[in-house]
Amino acid sequence: MTLAELNLSFHDERTEFAPGETLTAEYFAGESCSAEVEALEISVLWFTEGKGDEDFAVHYFQRTETSEAAPVDFRQPRQFSTMLPNSPLSYDGVILRIRWCVRLRAFLTRGKQLVEQRTFRLGNVPVARAVLP
Amino acid sequence: MNDSPADSHDRARQSQATGDGIPTNPFASRYIRPGALPYHFQQGEDAATLIARLQALGWWGQITGPHGTGKSTLVAALLPKIERACRRPLLITLHDGERSLVAHRRRLARCDAVTLLVIDGYEQLSPWNRFWLRRACRQRKCGLLVTAHKPVGLPTLTKTAVDAALARNVLYELHPAATAEHEAVLSRSLLAHSSNLREALFDLYDLEELRRRR
Repeated sequence: MTLAELNLSFHDERTEFAPGETLTAEYFAGESCSAEVEALEISVLWFTEGKGDEDFAVHYFQRTETSEAAPVDFRQPRQFSTMLPNSPLSYDGVILRIRWCVRLRAFLTRGKQLVEQRTFRLGNVPVARAVLP
Repeated sequence: MNDSPADSHDRARQSQATGDGIPTNPFASRYIRPGALPYHFQQGEDAATLIARLQALGWWGQITGPHGTGKSTLVAALLPKIERACRRPLLITLHDGERSLVAHRRRLARCDAVTLLVIDGYEQLSPWNRFWLRRACRQRKCGLLVTAHKPVGLPTLTKTAVDAALARNVLYELHPAATAEHEAVLSRSLLAHSSNLREALFDLYDLEELRRRR
């Protein structure tokens, strides 16, 4: 089995952003899997987590493919930037959480995939408190 | 584009150093929904034996069991194996009050002799729609696998059930650091919810939130 070796990091190691700010991140595939990578997808998305149905939306998406005509060296760091929206803000609730993340997905030969994810906070909504019975 | 909220959950869960500082709850629906949680087969059963049994039944069968005992989870575990058995599974999940298949007509039109139509929540359908569906499947020579809380007149593939040992295994699978308090809540919940593991896991979700905010 291929060992995961996807590298994803925020510019200046920032993980907290205000609405409307620009998020910049860098990503690349490591030596151990770069030869097998056919495409890399980078996305910025929010998703809900909790007791109910899940919801999510993709804010930014970019796919880079390699081909014989236009080979790509996925070991080379690639950078992207996106302006973050005004909502939804990150939220740590009792029955619902809203989380933002940058997700890097590598499509490998033979249909395999690797995923690396980094969460970040958008806005500064305080943590919800549980109401004790 | 393949993004979904369900991606890389295990990785995310193992990584406690989340950038957003929001800890995850191991009993959130993303971790316990069908397909996220592996199905725990009964002794002497596995996916291969069930597929072989379904094949012997002519690709017609029912999975029965009470609420929250893993019927949908079993279906999710069988789907990839069904494909390997050279059948094309077509999953339709019916929700409360969905008494007809009108909303799924386009998908049903694609059924043929290599399709295995899987209806999760078959008992939602009215008797007339069940009759119509079975007749349509016979005419198209496609297989039919359904889940229901009680027998619905198809050959039984298997019955799902939850006992204390299975529930405990699932608890530690989801939360390796579970405590005696978790076990106590699990036992109480299974009694209160007639062995409905889904409800018990949601009670554990609430416990986890309370523990975090104490």
